[in-house]
Amino acid sequence: MRKLKTLIMATAAASTFATVALAERGSDGNLNVAYWQAVSILNPYLSGGTKDIEASSLILDPLANYRPDGSMEPALATEIPTIENGGVSEDLTSITWKLRDDVVWSDGTPFTAADVVFSANYCLDPEGGCNAASNFADVESVEALDDHTVKINFSVAKPFPYGPFVGATAPVIQEAQFKECMGAKAPECTEANFGPIGTGPFVVDEFRANDVVTYKANENYRDPAQPAFATVTLKGGGDSAATTRSVLETGEFDYAWNVQVEPEVLDQMMAAGKGEIISAFGTSVERLMVQLTNPDPSLGDKRATVEGGPHPFLSDINVRKALSMAIDRDILVEVGYGPNGQVTCNVLPAPEIYASTANDACKTQDVEGAKALLDEAGWLPGPDGVREKDGVRLSILYQTSTNSVRQGTQALIKQMWQEIGVETELRNIDAGVFFGGDQSSPDTFQKFFADIEMYTNNFDGTDPEAYMGNWVCSEIPSPKNQWIGNNMPRFCSEEYDALSAEMGQTASIEKRSALAKKMNDMLMQEYVIIPLIHRGRVSAASNTLGNVVLNPWDSELAFAEEWTRVE
Amino acid sequence: MLNYTLRRLLFAIPTLLVISFIIFVILDLAPGDPTGQLPLTIPAEVRAKIRESLGVGEPIHIAYFKWVRGFFVYEPLYWLDQIGITIGDPSERARIISYATRGPVFDLILERIPQTLWVVGLSYVFGILIALPIGVISAYKQYSWFDQLGTFISMVGFSVPTFFTGLLMIVIFSVQLGWFPSVYDTTLDVNSWDTFILQVKQMVMPVAVLALYNASQISRFMRASMLDNLTQDYVRTARAKGMSEKVVVLTHVLRNSLIPVVTVIALGVPTIFSGAIITEQIFRVNGLGQLLIIGIQGSDFPLVQTLTFIFAILIVLFNLIADVIYGILDPRIRYD
Amino acid sequence: MTKHDQVLVKAQNVKVHFPIHKGILRRQVGSVKAVDGLNFEIRKGETLGLVGESGCGKSTAGRAMLRLYELTEGQLDFEGVDIASLDPKALREIRPRMQMIFQDPQACLNPRMTVGSIIAEPLDEHTNLSTEEKREKVKSLLDAVGMNRDFVNRYPHEFSGGQRQRIGIARALALDPDFIVCDEPIAALDVSIQAQVVNLLQDIQERMGLTYLFISHDLSMVRHIADRVAVMYLGKIVELADKRDLYKTPKHPYTQALLSAVPVPNPEVEAKREHIVLQGDVPSPANPPKGCNFCTRCPVAIDRCRVEEPELRELNKGQFVACHLAE
Repeated sequence: MRKLKTLIMATAAASTFATVALAERGSDGNLNVAYWQAVSILNPYLSGGTKDIEASSLILDPLANYRPDGSMEPALATEIPTIENGGVSEDLTSITWKLRDDVVWSDGTPFTAADVVFSANYCLDPEGGCNAASNFADVESVEALDDHTVKINFSVAKPFPYGPFVGATAPVIQEAQFKECMGAKAPECTEANFGPIGTGPFVVDEFRANDVVTYKANENYRDPAQPAFATVTLKGGGDSAATTRSVLETGEFDYAWNVQVEPEVLDQMMAAGKGEIISAFGTSVERLMVQLTNPDPSLGDKRATVEGGPHPFLSDINVRKALSMAIDRDILVEVGYGPNGQVTCNVLPAPEIYASTANDACKTQDVEGAKALLDEAGWLPGPDGVREKDGVRLSILYQTSTNSVRQGTQALIKQMWQEIGVETELRNIDAGVFFGGDQSSPDTFQKFFADIEMYTNNFDGTDPEAYMGNWVCSEIPSPKNQWIGNNMPRFCSEEYDALSAEMGQTASIEKRSALAKKMNDMLMQEYVIIPLIHRGRVSAASNTLGNVVLNPWDSELAFAEEWTRVE
Repeated sequence: MLNYTLRRLLFAIPTLLVISFIIFVILDLAPGDPTGQLPLTIPAEVRAKIRESLGVGEPIHIAYFKWVRGFFVYEPLYWLDQIGITIGDPSERARIISYATRGPVFDLILERIPQTLWVVGLSYVFGILIALPIGVISAYKQYSWFDQLGTFISMVGFSVPTFFTGLLMIVIFSVQLGWFPSVYDTTLDVNSWDTFILQVKQMVMPVAVLALYNASQISRFMRASMLDNLTQDYVRTARAKGMSEKVVVLTHVLRNSLIPVVTVIALGVPTIFSGAIITEQIFRVNGLGQLLIIGIQGSDFPLVQTLTFIFAILIVLFNLIADVIYGILDPRIRYD
Repeated sequence: MTKHDQVLVKAQNVKVHFPIHKGILRRQVGSVKAVDGLNFEIRKGETLGLVGESGCGKSTAGRAMLRLYELTEGQLDFEGVDIASLDPKALREIRPRMQMIFQDPQACLNPRMTVGSIIAEPLDEHTNLSTEEKREKVKSLLDAVGMNRDFVNRYPHEFSGGQRQRIGIARALALDPDFIVCDEPIAALDVSIQAQVVNLLQDIQERMGLTYLFISHDLSMVRHIADRVAVMYLGKIVELADKRDLYKTPKHPYTQALLSAVPVPNPEVEAKREHIVLQGDVPSPANPPKGCNFCTRCPVAIDRCRVEEPELRELNKGQFVACHLAE
């Protein structure tokens, strides 16, 4: 249904596009965009915050962007390099980008391969604290073959070599402006960080950190007819309800980013008829991570580590499976997410080609089945209704970050588990602490000193290789690696590791898809990760805004140069 | 009085240093991580690098020393540079840098002061202007319908939270009537009659919300103080002298009643600078209050530390000012 | 005693009631009858003493004389003009002629005004004197009350209680009044200062021909200063007589009780003297007893006293008593 709506929107947008395609640059006046998180900085290499990346995506262009359908479209490059067109080497260790030769920076100087090389070096500098470092993982060197050809060499085979310079997280910055700002000096260049010179459709007019950015059209933009808007105001602050209201009810703004409003409130706002909700589903999944190791505090240093031994009851797959079966995901979506979510049974729900259908049974709740499963496995209700076996009670400590929707979901799941005789204690931790990397805090999601934890994760771009690589044995967080690692369940399987390694060597998209599905199914059927909700990006767009399609794979503003004003 | 003021100022220095250290320790102990708000797609190793580049995790005495040096040495020197007095090497100025914006904290603060002063400051002024007459009349006509109404409105203004009155105003005046914008435009440059009207329009709602709150507080003080004084014998003396009611109330009673009220008003001035976190958030005024809350949410410790310390300075300063004003207004108080 | 023949102030049935409000709607549920029907005259140049227990309404009566309280009922003639019915403007014009000296010299002076401006303020309001003349007047007033002329620019809190009362007196004298209500002017002062202030008041009275209403609970001080004395009980005058008559032959049981409480300086006499000790408390002025106000505590009360309220009647020449039994 949602997808249908998106499709209709897209068609509607496309039809209006036909009539306004010949619009002149700057003919449509001012575009008002509201972000409830204010923009702090306009250099995406120094802030990984979504708001900062998206705000700078109006100014800075990468070599290629992801379209809303997940496909790549060249921006500063002439084409997407592939093995077929010779852009990617046969051994998968290098990629060669051909750059457009007609692009100039907003200050009028020509854009060349040297800028691309510089951008890579800027991010690769070990002292710079580059936020996009993972895009440049395994990059050995970047060289300019000529003024308009760049070759990126990897230290290992990269079947998906589109990390560097694809998508808004890793755009090209101007060497002339940033050359004094390498490494430790990066934060000193406030002027450059607050007003980068770019090749994108807009340039910064005024920037007030943590408040507002005003842009004006880039006179030197590569498409002479774009952007349609002469100026953009990107106002930050407030809360999601307020920004959504300013689009849907008061009409003061044209676009509100990241709508997080209770479904019934949203319906009321929509009634004013000034705008529309647009949504698109990327890869974000709200999931439960199941602790497979023992989080008992008495274990001291071995707490929640493989050395500490298996979990007293979650190591039993029947318990894990029963927990998943007992959950009514439809209710979770209805109560907490509305248009923001849909039920999912996969930790890898998208793009389409990677989405498995093997686990769809979880979409329907099966309380009786869960009870039977537990009975069969010997977990029988005790005098207080809580199931136990050999003196071990099914009593779960369930943690997540503090957030009203998450606490609502927690309460619902607690109730559902109570029905099958599982006792649950709820806990919520401030997001800054839970997701923060404070080594001294026992409450981080990596330490996972609990039985179940819930959060959302996703991956950048469209390639799931790195994401699926999160659950290999070596990613298990432990004191030995300063608790750095993404394998929260402490899942370890030779077979899974082998699949992951194989994917790292496979270039064919069909084979990669099969591998990813297999890995996903393995995690699902082991019930070490219990997926709950496929979360979409939802934004609000005014009825007077044309050609807007929500882009879940890249910056929402990545194609703002195509947006127009319609009456 | 001058000696007293100087002595108090001297005492304020160690007090403030202790305060700054306490703030620093509290912030250091507080859990939180400046990379905590980044998307999970950024892996932990990268986060560790980012933290390192920010200087998070330095031993507390070194971090504190750097901050104190930044606040008391480099920032003043930098501003001296700006007005053309250069002492030492300007390129050596390690200013206090925000984690989130990577920009100097003081620039951020200066950028915020105008809208905070306009909105919060003006609401304070309006609050006082409304409160004083209401307080005077309420006390003079105690238990009259005016007083009852004033009491009721004060109770409402004081007890109904600003986020409620703010939202109510937005729903009525922005959504339903469309009179005023619900979003404050901080970039508006007032240079003509039209932009002035726009500025007034966008200030009406936040100023009204805050002025109601301030007025209800101050009018209560004013009323209580007037009531205290109205029953004093010197008021009867003034009446016995045959002074007109106007003179009795406005010259004798009001002037004496203002003494405590003026000190309350002076003590409230620092709260103008700390902004009105909630109201700024609702109307997106994005002043100092919003800056502080963003800093706290994002674990931007240099920003939070500097802002809270500036508030501490203002509070200490205005306490002193309140005492001095009290001394000037009330001849019975002598500090020397 | 010809100088005392002319009546300056005449109170007729003066009543001051304060309403009591109660409940959510603050409806009036009754009233405190602080002053409940006063009838007396004050003659030019004399001092009328007004005595009574605390709370009997004597201060209220004193303030009512200057219309600092609005009268609930009654007439108050000042040289034949009823000031109870004057409009505010006319009242203000007559104000300079009647002044008041208060009990608490600290509280009655505006703490934020200098001595000079406190004394000069009524001059600004009621006279057309030049600044220079005013300054001279203030200084001469300070002289008159025995204060150093250089204190003009000081604030009240810088003075002792006795000095402040002198300032209060100077302030009252500024407009050359005819009539001064002294509301317990010495009650808040040290005993050593009391005599000085009373002597000062007498001096000034002689020099300026003033008329005093001297309110006090100190019977011996009243005996010293007053020509005639009125005794109040629960908002009413129970006895009014020439000072000699009153102190020698008190007629009202209450007056007798009051006087018997004054110690006699001779220990032998004191030891043998019969004390009349009153039983019970003063009834609430919000709910006075039926009949004679004093009947609840009167040692000689008869049934008639509890039914019929006694009139203030002239028993002997110039001696008025409100008691059914007095002869």
